[in-house]
This record gives sequence, structure tokens and C-alpha cells, in this order.
Amino acid sequence: MPVTETIISACELTKTFWRRTQRRGMLGAIRGLVDRGGIEVTAVDSVSFDIARGEIVGYIGPNGAGKSTTIKMLTGILVPSNGDALVGGYTPWNQRRQLAQHIGVVFGQRSQLWWDLPLTESLELLRFMYKVPADRFKQNFEMATELLDLEPFLDTPVRQLSLGQRMRGDLAAALLHDPPILYLDEPTIGLDLVAKTRIRDFLAELNRSSGVTILLTTHDLADIERLCKRIIVIDHGRIVHDGDLAALRSQFAATRQLTVDFDETPDLTDARERISIRIVDQDGPRVKVAFDRAIHSAPQVLAIMGAYGNVRDMTIEEPAIEEVISQLYARSTKTTM
Amino acid sequence: MDSLFDMRADLTIAGRIAALRLRGQMQYRSSFLMQIFGNFVVNFAEILVLWSLFQHFEDMGGWSLNEVIFLHGLSMVMFSLGDTVTNGVQAVPLLIRDGNFDRTLVRPMSSYVQSMVNEVSLRHVGLLGQGLLLLAVGMATVDSEWTLAKTAYMLVVIVSGAALFAALFTIEAILSFWTVNSIEAVNAFTYGGSELGQYPIHIFQRGMRLLFLYVVPVGFMTYYPSLYFLDKPDPLGLPGFSPFMAPIAACVFCIVVGRGWTFAIRHYRSTGS
Repeated sequence: MPVTETIISACELTKTFWRRTQRRGMLGAIRGLVDRGGIEVTAVDSVSFDIARGEIVGYIGPNGAGKSTTIKMLTGILVPSNGDALVGGYTPWNQRRQLAQHIGVVFGQRSQLWWDLPLTESLELLRFMYKVPADRFKQNFEMATELLDLEPFLDTPVRQLSLGQRMRGDLAAALLHDPPILYLDEPTIGLDLVAKTRIRDFLAELNRSSGVTILLTTHDLADIERLCKRIIVIDHGRIVHDGDLAALRSQFAATRQLTVDFDETPDLTDARERISIRIVDQDGPRVKVAFDRAIHSAPQVLAIMGAYGNVRDMTIEEPAIEEVISQLYARSTKTTM
Repeated sequence: MDSLFDMRADLTIAGRIAALRLRGQMQYRSSFLMQIFGNFVVNFAEILVLWSLFQHFEDMGGWSLNEVIFLHGLSMVMFSLGDTVTNGVQAVPLLIRDGNFDRTLVRPMSSYVQSMVNEVSLRHVGLLGQGLLLLAVGMATVDSEWTLAKTAYMLVVIVSGAALFAALFTIEAILSFWTVNSIEAVNAFTYGGSELGQYPIHIFQRGMRLLFLYVVPVGFMTYYPSLYFLDKPDPLGLPGFSPFMAPIAACVFCIVVGRGWTFAIRHYRSTGS
């Protein structure tokens, strides 16, 4: 197994902010003018991880967990209170400009493109800014146009683009200078399923063909399922999990789900009284059953269900990742309390 | 912050970006021309005011109408150049407020130069043209002798003045890193300074004079150089080299403001948006 080099390395990254406290009432507001009290908030607490070249890593956590703050430190926007990081060999906050040449960033909620210009002009401006040679630019431009289907709206001002179009435009912009590292902060937020799928497919293919390292923060766990083998979970500024997605699943979710299709609608009245299996949903002949895998195996549950009718078809579902993650958060809250 | 070499590279790229954006704007020809025309008309009213003023007064503190026109022209040219160059910088407060400034820091270019070309507009071409016109009229109608040296220094002065106004506009942007609302007070120095620079400074009260000579050195950009250009004596009794302070004053002011920008960015990068 070849040793893949580490391309992003965070070591005890810490960021504390000074949050002004809002005082209540008029008297409080006046007092606040003179004595600006505040508390120190630790947004990111000793975060450490190593990401190898070519990995796609999901970086997830509840709102306010410290995801965006971590990304800002790794891109050079924020200077950490403590800790180190090396991205592509550069210390982001000390070598911001050099690093910028080697990273591509997509902020899902903010565009990198110029609002009043047509998409194609934004890309041209970025070409100058990143000093992309003419032939390389042409190549990347054409490839992005084709893969992301930008042709229909290349000449439309960015402010007139739909969210999905703008996101594709942002992706094209981020990759124009062939960065080996891509940061994606909520790249599919607000998009419909078709648009999301298209972007996920694009990213998967990009990683497969060019080996671009991707660090992805998202609230959409379907993004994670599609793209990431490894996820890092952050909560309240601390990493609560860093590892294989599959391992996380099997480690946490005890519940699995079995969907059984009967020939005819079965009578499940006494099945509902069983404690080891749980009828989650019934839609005519289709029955969803949840069970604790520690108690039963899937074939056992199938056998149990077989007593209620002729089973025509069945599917087993892995535990929903939402459930896995919420268990993870619950566990971490318990430990912090 | 960034080395001088980086700055030169940045400015070259910025130049190309600005050219590209202007080219795009000029495509909207009618809008472009209307902007210029509109600008021209608005500023013309000022000239009428000036003219009517001189119908009542013989001179202004010893300065004739033509000489004051010269001052007007000079001040307008400096102001419009400084304003044009910092179009983008003046939009920085809005960027910060909307949380869009981060993307500036993700790009391989000085944050200031990027901000400069964030918005490129020639909307002040009208003012510039008018200023040049007034300057020309002033130069043609005043009694003083016009030499090559004067012309050379005139260019230096214009650049210095433009730099000063650019720096003043930058101050407003710098302050926006700390405050949520815009600091309207800075307008007193930019627009106010430009207005004041159009008149001979010695007619103003001591407080104003001190303010616009030693705090915001507009007086050293317009009034004092003009004493040299128009061969006029200095009623304030400043040292003889005062008319030539313009480039020095501009340099000092710009260096200070440059440091201010660096400080603002450092603050932004340690406290977040």
C-alpha cells in the first residue's frame, strides 16, 4: 500500500473570540457604552487532523460547532489563537497569498463571482488574478463548461443566475487554476435534488480523475454518503469523531431497517405487540420494520415477518446517517456535561 | 505586509482587470454617456454659483475670478482622480457588512489592490473633464507667466492631490472594519476638503486653515502650489518651500493610511467578521 502524503495537517488549532455581552434594558445599554464587558468564547478547541492527498473528507457538525471557523483558519482568512497548520506545505495565515494560488474555495452561501458581470467575464478576471496561462485557461474553461453544463448561461450576469447555476459557476471558478486542494463550505445548500446530484457526481468524478483533495463541510448528510469515505465530526469546537463512515455506522446505530413487500396486505395486529421489532410504517402490502441488530439478524426478522404472509420482496437499509450523527452529538453532549 | 515586488505584480494584474471591466461597461454606451453627461450638468451648477459670487465681489481675498477658477479646476481634477481610483475601496464597507470580504482574503492578491478593482466606473469623467476645462481656462486667463517647470510640477501636484483624496476615501473603508455603520464624518474631509480646496485658504478662519493644512493637507495640494503657479505671495507667512510640500505631504499621508489598512486587515483576521 503506497504511503499517501499528508497535504492538510492541523495541529491543536484553537480559536477564541471575545464576545461582547448584550446588556438588557435601557440602563444596561447605557452602561454597555462605558463598560463593554464580554466573555471569551472558544469556537475551535485543539482541533487536530491529517488529510492525505486525494481524500474526500466530510467535516460536519451542528450549527455553531466551529466548522466554518476551522475552514477559515485553514484558508488563511483567520489567524488562530493557538496551534499550527500546514496546507500544501504553507502555513495558511502566514503565507496567505502563496497558499491562495493552491487552493480553491467555494462558500455555498456567498459567491466568489462578481455580481454584476457575466459568468464568463468573472472567469476571465480570475484568470488574470491567478495568473493562469492562456492555454491552460482555455482547457479548463472548456472542460468546466462541458462538465458543469455552463454553456446556456455563460453570458448571463451572475446576479440573474439561479442558485444551482451560480453554484456551478463558483465551482468552475474555484478550479480554474488547478488547485490541488478544494474547500467546499455547504456547496449544495438550497439546491434541489437534481442540482445536488449533479454537483456530487461532478465532485466524485473530479476527485477520481485528478486526485483533487476535497474538504467538505455540509449539513446535507446525503452529500457525505455520496462522496466521503471519511468524516470528521466537530461539536462545540472539539472533534468527536474522525474516521471511516462505515465504521461509524456499525459502531453506533444499533437499529437497522427492513422493508418487506408482501403479496397481500398482512394483518400485523399482534406483530405490533412484539418488543424486539418495531413496525415503523405500513403502506398496504409494504411494511417497514426496525429492529435492534444486537438482538436479531436480518434473516431472523425476515423469518418472523414471513409468518404474517407471503413475502415477495425485501430490502435492508443501513442506519440513516442522520441517526448516527444525532447519536454522536448526544453522546458528546453527555461527555461534556 | 506585501513586498514592493508583489505590489507591482498586483498592480499590473489589477490594470488588466480594470481594463476588462471598463471595456464591459463601455458596451452599454448610452448608459455610459448619460452618466458622464449627468455628472457634467450637476457640476455645472457649481460654476454658476461661483460666477454669480464674483458678480458681487471684486475679488476673493486678493484672488481674481480667473485665479479662483484655476483653483476650482485643480481641486476638481485631484478629487475626481482620487475618487475614481478608490471606487472599489469605497465599496468595502458594504462587502464587510454582507460578509463578502472573506473571498478577498482567499485570493492571491493584495486585499487593497483587489478592493480597488472590485468596482470600476468612469462616472467621474464628467467632473474630471470639467476640472480640466476650468484648469485650462484659469491657466489661459491669469496674468502669471507659465513655464515648463510649472507644468511639470503641476502634474506632480495633481498626482499628489489625487493620492491624498484616495487616502481619505480609504480611511472611510478602514473605519468600516470596526463600525457597522458608515462614518459619515469622513465625508467632511473628502467632499468637504475638495470644496474647501477650491477656494483660497487664507479666507478661512484659523481653525479651518489648521485643519486643512496640517491634519488633512488639502491646502498643500491646491492652495500652496497655486501660489507658485500664479506667482502670488503667501499671506500666511509659511516657509518659502511650502508650495513644494505637496508630494511630501501626500507620501506621508499615504504611508500612514497604508499602515492603517494593514492594521485593519490584521484586526479583521484575528477577530473574524
